[in-house]
Order: sequence, then C-alpha cells, then structure tokens
Amino acid sequence: MMSKKTIKYLFVGVMIWLPVQYGIVGIVGFYHSEPWPAFVFPGFKNVYIYEGGFEIAKTEFVVYPGESGEPISLQPQELFPEIPLSQVPGFMRTHFSDASNIKTFSPQAINWLEIQAKRAAGDVPVRMDVVGLIEYYSISDSGAVRDSLTETTRTSVNFVSR
Amino acid sequence: MTVTETRFDRWIFESFPVTAEGLGMLRIFSALFIIFFLIPGQGSSHFVYLSTLPVDFFAPPPGPLMIFDGFPSYAVFQLLHTVLLFSIAGLLLGYYTKLSSIVAGLAILSLQGLIYSIGKVNHEIFIAMVPIVMAFSNWGAAFSIDSIRKGARHEVHGWPVTMLALLIGFMMFTAAFPKILGGWLDLSTQATQGHLFNQFFVRERDALLATWFVNLDNGLFWELLDWSTVLFEAGFLFAVMSGKWFKRFVCLAVLFHFSTMMMLNIAFLPNFLAYAVFLNWTRIYEANLTLYRRFSGKRGEKSKKHSVWLLTGIVIIFFTGLSYLSSKNLILSGSDLTLYEAVLVSGAFATVVFLAGLTIHSVLFHRTQFTPNRHS
Repeated sequence: MMSKKTIKYLFVGVMIWLPVQYGIVGIVGFYHSEPWPAFVFPGFKNVYIYEGGFEIAKTEFVVYPGESGEPISLQPQELFPEIPLSQVPGFMRTHFSDASNIKTFSPQAINWLEIQAKRAAGDVPVRMDVVGLIEYYSISDSGAVRDSLTETTRTSVNFVSR
Repeated sequence: MTVTETRFDRWIFESFPVTAEGLGMLRIFSALFIIFFLIPGQGSSHFVYLSTLPVDFFAPPPGPLMIFDGFPSYAVFQLLHTVLLFSIAGLLLGYYTKLSSIVAGLAILSLQGLIYSIGKVNHEIFIAMVPIVMAFSNWGAAFSIDSIRKGARHEVHGWPVTMLALLIGFMMFTAAFPKILGGWLDLSTQATQGHLFNQFFVRERDALLATWFVNLDNGLFWELLDWSTVLFEAGFLFAVMSGKWFKRFVCLAVLFHFSTMMMLNIAFLPNFLAYAVFLNWTRIYEANLTLYRRFSGKRGEKSKKHSVWLLTGIVIIFFTGLSYLSSKNLILSGSDLTLYEAVLVSGAFATVVFLAGLTIHSVLFHRTQFTPNRHS
C-alpha cells in the first residue's frame, strides 16, 4: 500500500507530466504522426470552410476490370470493409495520400490490393486508380448542395504489368 | 502542515469518498462493460485481418510499437486476447483483483497499439486506464473472491477516482485547445456544421438525426454549438478542482456525447466507462439492496451479496441480449454506429435527465434526503 506522501508525489508528477507529454504530442505529431499512448483527446481542429461553404477532401478508388468492363468507383470503406470506419480516413492519409508512397508499394502489397479490389468490384481488375478529390458544398434553403468536385491527384496501381 | 497542503490533501483524498460495496459494484459493472462492448478489435476476425496485412501497411504511431517491423502473427493477437479475457474474468470475480486489473489494462493497451498501427490512433485509452488506475482503490474488497480469502484487506481508497478525474479533465482540455487555435470561436465559421458535413458526406454517417441537422441552416445555432463545445471542454479542467463540479461536468459530457451521437453518429462509448466511475455506486448498492429485501422478504447479511449477484445476473442478461441484437444488424445496419452504442448512450442520457429531475425536485421541495452529488 502506498503512503499518503507517495500518493501526493504521484499526483504532482502526473500534473507535471500531463502538459509535458501534451507538448511532446504536439511536436512529434507535427513532424511525424500522433504518438501513442498519450493522454489526449482528438481536437477536430479543422473547420472545413471556404467563402460561406464547406470543402471536404476525400479519396476514392477506381477499379478497372478486364477489357470489356466499365470502371467501378469504390469508397475506401467498400475496398477495406474490415477497417473500422473511424480508422479509414487515417488509413487513407497514411498510405494513399502520397503518390510516391503508392508507387513504392511492394509486390506483396499490390497483390493484396488486387485481392481487395477483386472482392469489392466482383471482377478481375487490371488496374486501380487512387483518386484524391475535394468536394465543395454550399448551404441553400434546400439544405447542403454540392457545388463542385475537383480531382487533385490520381495515381495508378497496375495489377497486370507485374 | 500548511493550508495549501491541507487543501491539496483534501482534494486528493476526499473529493470522491468511496465504500467497499460501491467499489465492488463498480468493479463488476466495469468488467462486464469491457467484456461485452469494449474488447479491442471486438473478436478474432479483425485480428486475422491485421495479421495478414502486408508490411507496407504497418505504420505504428511513434512510441513503443515502433520496436516491431510488421504486424505480428495471429498467434500473438490470440495470446494477448486470451490474457485479456482471463484477466477480465479475474476482475469480474475479484480474484487477485489488483493484479488482474493491471494485467487487463496492459493487455488492452497492447491490443489497441497493434490495431492503431495501420496508421490511425483512436482515443480510447480509458478502456485501459480505468482498470489500471482503479486497481489501487482496492475495488476487490467486496463481492469478490479476494474478500473471502484469509488476510483480505478491506480498506478502500478514493484517490484513484481523483486521479481519473484529473486525467479526464486534462484530456478534455486537449480537445478544446486545438479548437481555439483552429478558429472554432471565429464568428464567421461554423466548425460543428463543417464536421457534420464531413461525417455525413465522406464517412456516410447519416443515421439518427444527421439528415435533419445537415439541412438545418441556422448560423446562430451552429455558432452556439461551436462556443459551447469549446467552453465545455476547456471548463472540464477547472472542474477537476471540485468533486461536486466535476460530476456536473460528467453529466454535461453525457449530454454532449448523446447530442454528438444523434448528430454525427459518433458514440465515443469508451469514455462512458470512465464517466461511470463517478456514479454514486454506494447509493446504487443501497437502492438495489432495499429493492431486493422488499421483494424477497429476506433481511439477513447474505441478502447483501445476493442482491448484488441478482443485479449482476440481470446486467449480464441485458448485455447479452443487447450484444445479440446488435450482431443481427436489424437496426442501424447502414451505419458504423451499433445498436448497443445507441442504447447505452441513450441510457446514460436518460440517467442524467432522471438525476437532474430528482435534483430539481429536491431543490424545489426542500427535500434533503436525496443528494446526487454525494459520492459513494
């Protein structure tokens, strides 16, 4: 059993450690990614605003089946249904937001993506594009209306050229 | 001892008075809550998936998980899962309670760390911290195997509850601070509305009242939500200094999460494990015992334990039914919000409304028998 004095020291230590670790989380998070474990809650800092409307960045996958098939657009949660929805945006940001990262996927990773694409699209894919999009919404009397959609990036993953 | 030291001592040791019976009830409830709803990964299929991910998708957050260079094999996940289940069973039964609590917390942390190594950290640390911190309260002093063993210690401690309050208060503040920097208090932006759009259109979180809120075009309403969110989250840190105020903020947190669930379809259930610590568990124990004695007609010493076992059985049946119905996807099937999240968060909301009603009633009619802020 801890003495009262030890418990008080423990509290003082924790009260010093909490802001220190928060500073570390901020610095490491800025240069790398959020450390873990840490005593922080999500800040939801972004406000997604532009000139009276809202802009939202998202990623889509376009799967190209064999010669005759039409391209099939898939949301990330359709391609990776086993990943909890709360983790999907982070998973996209970490692995699919940078074209140079996608281009250096190992044959094992490409093979795994091919299996996921085949399962989700229901056809044998020859190629898959990772498409970065920004959607713009405005508010009108009838609710939120999508103004426009801008494609920012497109990176192809070829399955047949391996 | 100086005045400051005395005040500091009182804050640590007297903010949240506890009893062995109240802590025993809390321990049983916490173990069941974790077993049924908060086990990381929620089953072996997710562990199978992670263990087969290519190494390219292993992106551990900065920290201890960086010692690995890829996801471990399924056997490692299974081992951790088994350790967790055995330690939670120990926690439920109160068998080597302190050790079981700490091992359960560490197993939860290990599984969470591996799950987050796909490149996204979720903020669910309280699933692990509640058992780890409460291990030091001696919450196995009643209704446990430990309590009937020779040489059992029955002294209980309230300071771990204060420690949890400190952690919650600080973490809430860390949610407020980036919002202030990010422009949530700017009158020309409506950040909550923007997040609603993000959840609705990108993550397709369109259940419950989400569609209604998406079509709600009232700048004043959304700006009020921005401000109240920031003030509530920042205020939590200051509320830590008073047990009474902290409990009021916990009640506000339940209302906040309920509204977040209805609007954004985010339940944040792990936090409710931590909030439940601040319920008046002695009062719950006493009320349950009174009910049991009234209906069973039994008055002996054994009725104390029997009343707890009966309530535990009812909770197990309720949680089992809720889990089963959730797994059937009959309701909320197109959402990542589960039925049990919706039911449990709504239940917590109803509890807070009920307690608020009792408090208002006691104030209006000058009744002093009910003191909702008196902690068990």
